[in-house]
This record gives sequence, C-alpha cells and structure tokens, in this order.
Amino acid sequence: MDRFVAWFCRIAFVFLYIPIVAVVVYSFNASEVSYRYTGVTTHWYAELFHDDRLLETLRTSAVVGVLASLVATAIGFLTAFALARYRVKGRAFFLGAIMIPLIVPEIVLGVSLLEIFSRAGIPNGLLTLVLGHVVITLPLATLVQMGAMTSLDPSLSEAATDLGANGWVIFRRVLFPLLRPSVLAAFLLSFTTSFSNIVISTFTSGVGTTTLPLRIYSSLRTGLTPELNALGTLLVLFTLAVIVLVGVRQMRRILA
Amino acid sequence: MSVTTAPASGSGVRVPARGALLGYLLLLPAVAVIVLLVIVPMAFIARESFALSDPLLGGDMGGFTWANYAKLFDPVYAKTMGYSLGLAALNAAVCLVVGYLLAYYIATRPARRQPVLLMLVIIPFLTDFLVRTFAWITLLGSGGPYVKIARALGFGASSLVPSQTAVIMSLLYAFLPVAVFPIYASMRAIDPSLREAAADLGAGWWQTHRRIFIPLSATGIGSSVMLTFVPTLGVFVIPVLLGGGKDPLVGNLIVTLFTEFRNEPMGAAMSMVVLVLMLVSVALITGVLRLIATRSNRRAV
Repeated sequence: MDRFVAWFCRIAFVFLYIPIVAVVVYSFNASEVSYRYTGVTTHWYAELFHDDRLLETLRTSAVVGVLASLVATAIGFLTAFALARYRVKGRAFFLGAIMIPLIVPEIVLGVSLLEIFSRAGIPNGLLTLVLGHVVITLPLATLVQMGAMTSLDPSLSEAATDLGANGWVIFRRVLFPLLRPSVLAAFLLSFTTSFSNIVISTFTSGVGTTTLPLRIYSSLRTGLTPELNALGTLLVLFTLAVIVLVGVRQMRRILA
Repeated sequence: MSVTTAPASGSGVRVPARGALLGYLLLLPAVAVIVLLVIVPMAFIARESFALSDPLLGGDMGGFTWANYAKLFDPVYAKTMGYSLGLAALNAAVCLVVGYLLAYYIATRPARRQPVLLMLVIIPFLTDFLVRTFAWITLLGSGGPYVKIARALGFGASSLVPSQTAVIMSLLYAFLPVAVFPIYASMRAIDPSLREAAADLGAGWWQTHRRIFIPLSATGIGSSVMLTFVPTLGVFVIPVLLGGGKDPLVGNLIVTLFTEFRNEPMGAAMSMVVLVLMLVSVALITGVLRLIATRSNRRAV
C-alpha cells in the first residue's frame, strides 16, 4: 500500500507542475493560436514591454504591494513583538483576532471593505486598495515574525543586560539583527500575496487604479493570448526569486 | 520607545518583560486594523443584509426585512447555493484525500529530503493564482495537450473549456497546497517509532492510519477542511474562466449583486450565509476535534 501511495504522490507532484510547465512552454510558442506549436520565439515577451496599459497596471500593483507590505510588516512586527515578549493578558484572544482575515472567506472581507469605504465616503482608489491589502497580509506578516521571535534564545538579551546594555541598545544591536531575515521574509511574502490578489482588489480598486491581476482577468474573459503566457512565465520566475530570497528553511517553518 | 527585557527571572521560555502597558500599546495598530477594517465592516454587512432595496434602482433603502434571506430559497438562488455547496464539499473531500496522502508521503521520507518535497508544494502555492488558473485553459482547451493526447490514444475528445470537469480540476489545483500544509505540520510531530511499533505488531496500512496517523493529525485534517470547504464557495474567477459562467458559484452571485445589479442588501445576505457557514464549520470541526481528544484521553487512562 505504501508503494501505491508513493506512486500516487509522484503523479500528484507531476499534476502540480503540469500547468506551470505549460505556461512556460507556450510562452515561447511562435504560433498565435495554441493549436500549433510552430517554433520558438521571444516575440511575446517583447510585446509585453510595449503594452503601455499593462505596464500601467503593473505599476499600480507594485505601488500597492510595496505600500501595503511595508505597513503590514511594520504592524506585524509590533504585534509579534508584543505577543512574543510582553506579558499581555488575553494573548490567545489577540492572536485569534489577528488571524480573522485568514479564516473569513476573502469575498466577505471584500464586500465588507466596499461597504465601509462607501459609507465613510472614501472613493475607491489607491488608499482603499492599500488598506484592503493590509488586512489580508497582516496575519501572514505577524505569524512569520512571531515565529522568529519566539525561537530567539532568551539568554541573548539576558547576556546583553548583564553586559550593561539598556533596552533600546539590546533591541537595536542584538534583537533586530537577529530578526532581520524574518522581517524581510514577512515583507516579501506580503508583497507576493498583495501582488497576486484579485478578490480584495475587485472590491477596492477604482477608476485608474486597475491592478495587474484585474487586468489579466478582464483580458482572459475575451480569451487567452500568448502574451499572457509570457507574463505568466515572468510571474513564475518572480515567485521562485521570492522563495530563494526567503530561504527554504524559513519557508518551511512558516507554512508547516 | 524603550523595549526592556527584565534580567533572568525564572526559567520561562518567553522573556518576561517590564511594563505590560507597552505591550498593549504595541498591539494597538493591529487591533485598529482588525476592528476598523474587518469587524466594523462585517457588522455593517450584517445590518445591510436586513435592509430593503429599491426594486428598480437597487441600493440600500434602510428599514428592516427578512425578505433577502427569504429570497435565498427562490429557485435561482437556491440552485446556486446547492450547486456551490456540492462542489465545495467535493473539492474539500478530494483535497483532503490527496492532501493527506501527500502530507503522509512527505512526512515519512528521510528528514533530509522532506524540505525539498515540501518546497515542491510551496512553489505552485505561491505562484500567481490567475496564472495557475489560466494554465488550465491552455491544457484543456481546444488544440491543447489534453485534446491532442486523447486523440492520439484514439478517443474522440473535444475541448474541455468551458466545462464542469475543467472547473473541478482547477479548483483542486488551486486548493491542494493549502490542504497539504496543516496536515504535514501535524504529521511531522508524530513520533516515527509509533509507525515502526505498529508494523512490528502486525498492523496493516489502513489500521496504522486509522489508529495512529489519522487521530494524531486530526488538528491538521480539521484545518485543511476549514481552509478548503468554505473558501471554495467564494471563488468567482474559476467558474467564469473555465466554466464559461454557466454554473455560477455563490462568489459569482455576490460579485454580480454588488458590482452590477447594485442590490447590496441581497449580496450582503449571501455574504452572511457564507460567513455563517464558515462559523458553523469552524465550530463543528473544533467540536469533533475535542471529542476525539477526550475519547483518546479516556482510552489512555
């Protein structure tokens, strides 16, 4: 039976990669239609860089991603620090509250944001997008940084205290340098989450602030073009870059 | 800001700090985000789900009515509701079985190889959702690999886009990694000697799983179901791109009600249904887990 499971899992791993491989292979397909594979070309990549409307949405997504991730990482850092190093009453309660956006289906978060922004008279645009993306990236940013903080050796700050360092110096010279990789990981994973988000963006983007996924989605409704495969390939490469930067070991600690 | 950790007082894992007040201050921004951008907005949606709406122009007319919830039983809505629940249950079940086997496979490999295998699940998980979805258009669409291979094997296959099969495939693909992680996390904590002991005592594959792996990874299994079942209801991209929009899911209705029909109260009522289903499934899963825990405790005594 274990032999059967092993074979089944090998097939499952293939299943996980067929779509990714297909996107990459078809992005170099010279033929306009997927019916024929007529040869290799990089034409579609060149086309991408001349698509001004697409580049505009790419810019929007990048701006929103950077802003939302900066905010989420900063708030996540403070939250994780408070929960990991302070004697806060109701620790489980606070932790649970911060995890709400992970458990509530995204579409409910999306319509709720649409509702509150329209009631508050805030027009949909960059601000609403950034706020919406902060909501969905905050739990991840907090978890990533809290994991690193709880695994810090407490004797390090004790030693620093013994050597006469005060609180701020300990934080800046001992703790923060140790936490830096997790801060970077939180930022990168938040950015990836924000960059590929479509549900929250559907409800929070406004005229002129179309994000890249929204643009991809609307062009897919009229049909898949080879250009989109080229874009998809670049996005796959981007994901791999993020994983390399975050590091395999840290990645594993975060997700499982 | 002064972040002061008290010198070694006791042997606690967490360094006890002076000034819990500062701790609460540090929590303030996160609490503000959750309250102002999650709790309060959801409360407004709950309120709006009871509001009247203008039959012609749409929009929130205030007042109080159960009509939006009553309308959920209209054939149009009830059909989508039933179809979505069925599809979500199917997707959660397939994700659970495949995810469980994958998690078990990875967790029982040599420690050195586990991170590599886990990485193979993480890469598709982090790949852009839309890219993962439109890849299936290429794979299953007209002239794609599926049609070519099927024809080469002598089957008269035609494009699977749009079709229900394509929707199910891409839902499974979208949610499978999420189903693997929590199960793997709880399986990694299982002492490998238990498996050896079971084998020594002559337990078969199924018995080993029923008596050891499934009970000890119950938390992970619960999270995996929670992260696949209700979230499937809210999906709206996949039914449009791979199902041709013929069989909408609850997610599609919510988007249409809010952005096209401007019937926000009805959309709010549907959102509340999704939210309540989520709460019910969380409660059910936690309840079942507690039951398993007390039963196994009793057995241990």
